[in-house]
Amino acid sequence: MAGPSVFTAQSLPDGDNVNPYVYSIGLAGEWFISKGAMLAYYGNIRFEAVSRYASVRDFVAAQFASPVYVQDWVVAEGQGKLVIGDRGFDLNAYDLDDGNLTIKASNLLAFDTRLALKQSIVPGFVVLIGTGRFIASSNGPVIFVEPPFRADPEALLGWADCPSPAVHHDAAWMAASFAGALQGALGRTSGEEKQYDFTGTGTVLMQSSEIARADPAVLRLIEDQTRLLTDAQAGSLGQQLMARVQQR
Amino acid sequence: MLFEQVNNKVVRAHVTAQSPVLARRGAMLGYSGAVAFRPVRGQGGGVGGFVGAAMSGESNPMMASEGDGAVLYGYKGLYVTVIDLDGSYPLTCEADRLLAHDANLQTSVQFVGSGGVRAAVRGAMTGQGLFTTLVHGRGPVALLSHGGAFPLQVTGQWPVGVDPQAYVGHTGNLSLDLKAKVGFRDLTGRGSGEAFTLQVTGQGTVYVQASEQKF
Amino acid sequence: MITLTADKRVLVAEINNDSLRAAQGSMVAFEGSVEFVGAKMGGGDGFRAALKRRVAGESLDLMEARGTGRVFFAEDALDVTVLDVGGSRLTLESDHILAVTPGLRLDVQFAGLRGMTSGQGLATTTVDGQGQIAVKSDGPIFGLEASPGQDVVVDPDAYVGSYGNLQMSMVSGVSWKSLVGEGTGEPFSLRFTGHGLVYVQSAER
Repeated sequence: MAGPSVFTAQSLPDGDNVNPYVYSIGLAGEWFISKGAMLAYYGNIRFEAVSRYASVRDFVAAQFASPVYVQDWVVAEGQGKLVIGDRGFDLNAYDLDDGNLTIKASNLLAFDTRLALKQSIVPGFVVLIGTGRFIASSNGPVIFVEPPFRADPEALLGWADCPSPAVHHDAAWMAASFAGALQGALGRTSGEEKQYDFTGTGTVLMQSSEIARADPAVLRLIEDQTRLLTDAQAGSLGQQLMARVQQR
Repeated sequence: MLFEQVNNKVVRAHVTAQSPVLARRGAMLGYSGAVAFRPVRGQGGGVGGFVGAAMSGESNPMMASEGDGAVLYGYKGLYVTVIDLDGSYPLTCEADRLLAHDANLQTSVQFVGSGGVRAAVRGAMTGQGLFTTLVHGRGPVALLSHGGAFPLQVTGQWPVGVDPQAYVGHTGNLSLDLKAKVGFRDLTGRGSGEAFTLQVTGQGTVYVQASEQKF
Repeated sequence: MITLTADKRVLVAEINNDSLRAAQGSMVAFEGSVEFVGAKMGGGDGFRAALKRRVAGESLDLMEARGTGRVFFAEDALDVTVLDVGGSRLTLESDHILAVTPGLRLDVQFAGLRGMTSGQGLATTTVDGQGQIAVKSDGPIFGLEASPGQDVVVDPDAYVGSYGNLQMSMVSGVSWKSLVGEGTGEPFSLRFTGHGLVYVQSAER
């Protein structure tokens, strides 16, 4: 009878999926790994915070050009097989050849140190640039679509080779919402009211929508932006946030 | 009208002027083409249809997708099962299981309490209210489930029981009756955990999900 | 006579005039004449096992499905795998047990240090005898073979169980701590040495 698949250090895939939800990295050198992604490993592997790795090999740590996300990542260094997973989500490997791809930060699990990471202009997304491989998760298999396409921000996984999206507000939807006095029923904005509008040529990556995982980097991003506020504005924001917490 | 199963969590619907789609609000993941979305209150009677949803308690915010294009629907990573109704029997399900359906299908709200006290208890037990939704006509319906729904054929040859929490919906000529089994062990907390079972009789198909979680 | 078949997130049990132990409340549907009753003291493994579980603070709530028919078991949309047991001892984290055929005995083993910090109880469940056990996991499970010179290191949240002659130790170096996110996950990993198989699930939490 069919039991579970069994692997040894040798038979475990070298840079391939173990099953749709698990990926095995054949480590010979360094990779950037998202904290918490590791399931298991064979071999002699050390993990070091990216910031601390700067003292080991500065040019490797410098590839990770995002102070907002750096705390959530480590460098895995050594020889062996490193097995990663993310909440049972589907995992895919993407190969970039002198290219760039923008991906939702909370879905990026690992990338080869030849690639550079930068924050995207779109909040919650990062851009990978160069030649190399990265591994990302998706809720259900990734759906690839071509522009012109409008995506619910919550279901958007990333995009490649096309211009950054513009925000599209559905005027008819909003008018209908007001007319029907449905604001209360809607509670909050839904994907039908506001979408990211992709134009030009390229590829858009979609997944099923999800209840967003608390992304610590989002808090850091917003904290950083509050510096743009005047003292009076900051006070007003503070009161609004207090009211929100007390309502719960 | 065509619902294309993109993967086990997403369907793609090809919307045309003749076949708009009614879907759960917030379930649109993305679209191409010229499609407009319009909030519809409650459900029933097709596009623009209105049933006293607030009154029935079976109020599920819906929207209409109209125009010409392809729309992706999914909801919070839940599994999606497409059922093609052939018009012979309606589909019965709880309103919040409805992800999307051909707007030419008719929906109506049924008071399950009319089946007697036992049936009423069923709604209370599953926390799904005393009302249930019927979908009539010919066309595709996409249903949500936690972990995927599997069909169980009911022929009358065997008794069939379903956990009320795992019940997704049914078609055919079936009757569902809540059977309570409360014994000493159940009261002392050392029971089987299966104190209530939906007894299914008749001929048809009942859809069961791989979880006892309500979403 | 019992046949267990796993179909992704559903366990299908064909029961022919027999009785199967399964996690309480895990039945989603059945065909035939099957009765569900609470399992006897200690999940059917006697008073000693019950007492040990009580001491260990470990809970394993089982029921019995008795009769003839086909029963569908599922829990929280978790994946289901059927393991054949016979010969070597299987060790499992209790919350991964979905169903057990009658030829198997479950007992509690104190796991010492490891259990104290893993939050999964002080103890782990051992499975002996001949039969089948259905395991539930977050994503499918897979086995990693350990052999001398080839240790397996596993995240405690991804660890499901192990089979064979293995020694387990906790690793909690600076290296591992740097891998754990803020306030999430375990501050140590599990290293398995010896000869055997380590079962790992596809998600870390």
